Amino acid sequence: MTDITPSDARPTSRGTATEAVRRSLARRNRKQLVLQGFGIAAIILAISMLLILLTSIISTGYHAFTQTHIQLEVYVDPEEIPAEGLPRGGFDDVLAAAMGAHFPAVDLTDRAATRELTSILSNGAQFILRDKVVADPSLIGQTVTLKVPVSDAYDQLNKGLVQRDTAEQFRRVDDAAIARFDRLDELGLISTPLNTALITNADSRFPELAGLKGALIGSFWALLTCFLISFPLGIGAAIYLEEFAPKNRFSDFIEININNLAAVPSVVFGLLALAVFIGWFGLPRSAPFVGGLTLALMTMPTIIIATRAALKSVPPSIREAALGVGASKHQVVFQHVLPLAMPGILTGTIIGLAQALGETAPLLLIGMNAFITSAPGSPFDSATALPTQIFIWADSPERGFVSRTSAAILVLLTFLIMMNALAIFLRNRFERKW
Amino acid sequence: MSQEHIASAYDRDLEAVQAMIMKMGGLVEAAILRAAESLEKRDEEEAEAVRRADAAIDALEQQVNEDSARLIALRQPAAGDLRTILTVMKIASNLERIGDYAKNMGKRTSVLVQMQPVEGSAGSIRRMAKQVELMLKDALDAYIQRDPELAEDVRQRDMDVDQMYNALFRNFLTFMMEDPRNITACMHLHFIAKNIERMGDHVTNIAEQVIYLVEGEMPADDRPKRDRTAFETVGPEA
Amino acid sequence: MDDLRQHLQVAGDEEVKISARNCQVFYGDTHAIKDVDVDILDKTVTAFIGPSGCGKSTFLRCLNRMNDTIDVARVEGEILMDGENIYDKKVDPVQLRAKVGMVFQKPNPFPKSIYDNVSYGPKIHGLARNKAELDEIVERSLRRAALWDEVKDRLQTPGTGLSGGQQQRLCIARAVATEPEVLLMDEPASALDPIATAQIEELIDELKQNYSVVIVTHSMQQAARVSQKTAFFHLGNLVEYDDTGTIFTNPQDPRTESYITGRIG
Repeated sequence: MTDITPSDARPTSRGTATEAVRRSLARRNRKQLVLQGFGIAAIILAISMLLILLTSIISTGYHAFTQTHIQLEVYVDPEEIPAEGLPRGGFDDVLAAAMGAHFPAVDLTDRAATRELTSILSNGAQFILRDKVVADPSLIGQTVTLKVPVSDAYDQLNKGLVQRDTAEQFRRVDDAAIARFDRLDELGLISTPLNTALITNADSRFPELAGLKGALIGSFWALLTCFLISFPLGIGAAIYLEEFAPKNRFSDFIEININNLAAVPSVVFGLLALAVFIGWFGLPRSAPFVGGLTLALMTMPTIIIATRAALKSVPPSIREAALGVGASKHQVVFQHVLPLAMPGILTGTIIGLAQALGETAPLLLIGMNAFITSAPGSPFDSATALPTQIFIWADSPERGFVSRTSAAILVLLTFLIMMNALAIFLRNRFERKW
Repeated sequence: MSQEHIASAYDRDLEAVQAMIMKMGGLVEAAILRAAESLEKRDEEEAEAVRRADAAIDALEQQVNEDSARLIALRQPAAGDLRTILTVMKIASNLERIGDYAKNMGKRTSVLVQMQPVEGSAGSIRRMAKQVELMLKDALDAYIQRDPELAEDVRQRDMDVDQMYNALFRNFLTFMMEDPRNITACMHLHFIAKNIERMGDHVTNIAEQVIYLVEGEMPADDRPKRDRTAFETVGPEA
Repeated sequence: MDDLRQHLQVAGDEEVKISARNCQVFYGDTHAIKDVDVDILDKTVTAFIGPSGCGKSTFLRCLNRMNDTIDVARVEGEILMDGENIYDKKVDPVQLRAKVGMVFQKPNPFPKSIYDNVSYGPKIHGLARNKAELDEIVERSLRRAALWDEVKDRLQTPGTGLSGGQQQRLCIARAVATEPEVLLMDEPASALDPIATAQIEELIDELKQNYSVVIVTHSMQQAARVSQKTAFFHLGNLVEYDDTGTIFTNPQDPRTESYITGRIG
């Protein structure tokens, strides 16, 4: 009954085998170490690149998150600004008078001197005052405490971006201007609060006034349009292809085309949109709606591919279980498979939308890089989007736009990180319940 | 059934337990012949040896039972394998009984040598024993070769043994009636003859088991019986 | 040699529930099932055994037309259930599957609550008119699956949180909830430990009071333990179909013998 296997293993051969394994082991370990080394080096390289990028963006961009303001006591002179003349009036003269109060030596009748004095103020200062007075005409004849942004050059000076030890002829502000600014600073009128205008203002020629409101709203409309079109269409197409379409050459052909479509350069979609949406359909240029349509074209393949992958990953046992109790095909898909695939679909969709949010080229082609100083009221108004705004600012000559470009990039990155975080959250939250 | 099991250890286990049966069969055959011989030659020592040898047969049966139980528990045999194991156990048990009868013959021989021999009886008993021993040999061959025809043949030959027993039965009755001094010896001799007849029955059991092993069913017809002594009466007037 | 309980049952019901005639299944060019003729009895456990790829699962899936979901699968011949050909054009597979429940190899409860798992079938088939009736169906089904006492206090917890054996009994409860007449089981205990397997086997033995149970199993011992009839499949052929006791002690076909004694895989 006992099972005795004759032992035919010779100790000598066993010994040499061990020896051979030991020798090859050293070689294999060395290879593994080299591979690990390359891997670690690659990761370090990638992380350092990322750090360099972030440092350079943040170091130039953080200036834009504050804005130098000056506080003025403005007497709203009824002679300069008559109530019946609103919204017209001599707002610049009133501001000049308020400035002149701190510099009694300046002759306010000398236009050149006055201009030099008021150059501290942003060009938008008079409009801020105007809006305030128009909103409340009873201010006429009273003294208003007004906090207005200083112009770009003085903002740079205050933030230390204009070196005082540079020779005067190479500086944007001369010694007299610096002296005036320092005097105001000594009086405690200069402050550097958080730059809310960056979010609440639309674009402007003047960096101290320029903000991202128009771009944010434009991006929002575009993404909403993109989502509303690509999500249902993409999911519908994916469900049909994955669950219902017969597997034949035609469906293979469609599948290959969808996969290729996902790899088409975005600028091509821009050209297509320009020709079709604007050329044929006559939709307005620069409109977020058209931008959204264009982005939807780009996002749809991504959503279709993500949805199909999510549907495929639902275990067949669930389908069988549902079929086994007598569910029909569409009940299986809509009551069992789709709910289980939803986290994967949403993750794919969000990543697709994040990609769309950062997309620039197709929006440039349909004119969403227009200079528009007011936020769009509807998806059909002209607008910019975040990436095109960055593009516009990066192109602008004013020094103040350098830091604003970086700041806008940071805002864009923040949105992208938030969207990706949401995708990761959804994935972990609903991961593999079966 | 010519194929081997996927688990070769199963085959080895099955062969081992069947080898034990063959060994047991050899011991039992020898026991039958030696018991009959010792009776004929009135050899007390040989009879004693037969009695002692039975312990080895009993031990083997024990071993076969244990190994079979182990095999059933570990391998869960089915169909042909199951029938093999069942057959092995039954054969072992029948062989053990035959061994016991041989041992009993040895005991009675030890007593008989002290007495006057009964004329002609020893030769008849030896022939009967030889017949049974041949049947056992054939039954075991039938088992080895899985030969149901040979087994059926063995079954039929049991009738001859029964007839031999009938003849001896009548002989002994006659002897006892002729001379009451023969009664003790004749009674012992009769038991020996009866033992051999029973051995034949056990051999028949083995043969039937072989038929079951091969065909999956026990032979349907009743075992042929020629032992009519149960109805035999021999009056004093006869 | 036969199952000792069988003589008790023979008197009751010997009627044929499903009979296959000349059944063929093709997967593309592969002839997976060849000429199968079999009569499956009502209120009886029938086991399909055979080596992997022998077609036993394929044939099982013919009985509730699960093969319909595979594009390349094609079934020929007749499969009659209560005399009606289930492959007739008139027969809707969805309706058939409500009558022929199925339990799969791996416990596959829906990732929903225990209650929803059991009530899903009755809900989609409209078997309950109101909540109370549905509750009753759920309780009855869970009782039949010998699971009620273990889960009655946590019907709203996810079915996936149960142990493997409990999940499989939940799947049985889900299958019996639609009041089927036949229960198909595709290796229902192969993913379970021996205790859970014993519970499932005990349950199968009870289920045969009400249903015709067909079970595919890789474990010959399991087939021997739970079934009254056994069919042996080999290379797409139905080699032998007989009382389980006969198959396991005295099979007629040498292929069956070789398989159940462990000589061919």
